[in-house]
Amino acid sequence: MFLAWREIKHSKLRYLLIGLIIMLIAWLVFFLSGLANGLSTANGASIQSMKADYVVFDKNSSVSMLRSLLPDSMVDEIKKTPGVKDAAPLGQLTVSIAKVNDEEQVDATILATEPNSFLVPKINEGTSFHNDSNEIILDDSFKSYGYAIGDQLKIIQSDKVLKVVGFVSNQAYNHMPVLFMDIQHWQTLKFPTEQSKSGIENPVSVIAVQKDSDFNKDILNQISNIDVVTKNTALQNLPGYSAESLSVNMMLFFLFIIAAFVLAVFFYVITLQKSNQFGVLKAIGANTAFLSKNLIMQVLIVTAIGILVGVVLTYGIASVIPEKVPFALDNLTVAIYSLLLLVIALLGTILSLGRIAKIDALQAIGRVE
Amino acid sequence: MEKLMINQVSKVYGEKESSVKALDSVSLNVKEGEFIAVVGPSGSGKTSLLAIVGALLKPTQGSIKLNGIEMKGLTSSQLTKIRMNQIGFILQSSNLIPYLTAKDQLLLLSHMAGNNGREYRNRAEELLSNLGLAHRMNHYPEALSGGEKQRVAIARALMNNPDIILADEPTASLDTQRGREVVQMLVKEVKTRKKAAIMVTHDERMLDLCDRIMRMTDGKLTELRA
Repeated sequence: MFLAWREIKHSKLRYLLIGLIIMLIAWLVFFLSGLANGLSTANGASIQSMKADYVVFDKNSSVSMLRSLLPDSMVDEIKKTPGVKDAAPLGQLTVSIAKVNDEEQVDATILATEPNSFLVPKINEGTSFHNDSNEIILDDSFKSYGYAIGDQLKIIQSDKVLKVVGFVSNQAYNHMPVLFMDIQHWQTLKFPTEQSKSGIENPVSVIAVQKDSDFNKDILNQISNIDVVTKNTALQNLPGYSAESLSVNMMLFFLFIIAAFVLAVFFYVITLQKSNQFGVLKAIGANTAFLSKNLIMQVLIVTAIGILVGVVLTYGIASVIPEKVPFALDNLTVAIYSLLLLVIALLGTILSLGRIAKIDALQAIGRVE
Repeated sequence: MEKLMINQVSKVYGEKESSVKALDSVSLNVKEGEFIAVVGPSGSGKTSLLAIVGALLKPTQGSIKLNGIEMKGLTSSQLTKIRMNQIGFILQSSNLIPYLTAKDQLLLLSHMAGNNGREYRNRAEELLSNLGLAHRMNHYPEALSGGEKQRVAIARALMNNPDIILADEPTASLDTQRGREVVQMLVKEVKTRKKAAIMVTHDERMLDLCDRIMRMTDGKLTELRA
């Protein structure tokens, strides 16, 4: 500590520059992780926050909600299966909506279920929808388009009119805000004619399942023509979901590798520059442990301050970022990535520590004949 | 009383045919308060002698007793401790730590020995004041003149109260007047604090200040003047 802090104080510019680079890397890491988190939230928040453990798809749908069609009667069949606590139908439809007497259209995803099922999220404002009614509850983000309780909405693709009765928060699907409605009413929107039902009575898209302690996926899978997957698998199979998180995580991975090399090289070059000084210190009685501790202290001080400023900067920018940018910081992720950067910086010092161990005190007294 | 006893020390570099004998059966005893100069041409073995006495190099043969303790057979961490506590090095002018003030250069030594506190700060201030650096205590080496730097180096060498002072060309980068001043101060400290000192030098102008002068030629040490 004696040397570490005094040297930082004396060579302010040098350590400021290194700290700045650490700060920028940390900032980029946090920003990317915020974007990754924001993107996946925008894509799958409604599935992610759903109080279900498994999702039942039509066997021929390849785990696609768009293609999956199951008869409504299967809900009761699944409920009777041992190990199943509860089950609820879910219908999905992408629409464009607008206020009655207004031309401004908004793309949205309809998620439909039974009024009292566990799939209905917590209502923030207003009431829930009722059985076989045109009532809907909207995600909060609709408020930025000027939507309010009591508004009449029209669906552009049909002549149906919907009535806003409540609001919920953080509901998004496939980068669109979500509106919830009753499944029977949804069936009249999605299947306006008998032919479009493909011969299935009261079709729904998928069925969400809550498990009991004695749940067994294989028993449930014995029902013919279905495919039971975990909620996480359903999430990964959303259009574009894995591709998005994969590409951002790839960038994060490379950032960590770049950070490791940049920091290792910086401190190694500084150590090389100081090898004569280390020789002098060893000659007057410093041992390798003392010098190593000082280097580790320096790296810890500079990296910790750099990361801290990066965190502050990230949260600062997050607070002014436009709401429509999919950006969501997760405090736990920020903490984990901070720690990871610190560990990487320390790993990078191994190279320098090896160098310090090799320095011979003899070089302090010039040339030995 | 003998502070340092060098007995029949030899140092051989390299393997059999290509070996070079840097020191050839060197013997030298240094008493308390004695200031010895070692002169000789480049390559004669002066620095090897200093490195061996300073516990930086191990001799091929012979024995060295520092304050009555045989250094042969000590581990390298024991030798590091001896360098810290019993040997004061005065190195060439550039060898102060650039980011430490004059006072911190001294405090670093007590800090490494695990000693912190008021008394050590007082000791550092007293040592620097004795060497005429009272007004330079909080200056960095870059702000000090060559002579001042060497005086800081002398103070640093004395900080942990060592038994023996080893000086490696302390006047190499100084003009005659400043060089003499530095050596005079070194002599004064050695006498009053009852240390033993060996100074390796090229500088023949300083020799009248020394108690004994030894000449090193091809690894052999001979007394020039007692």
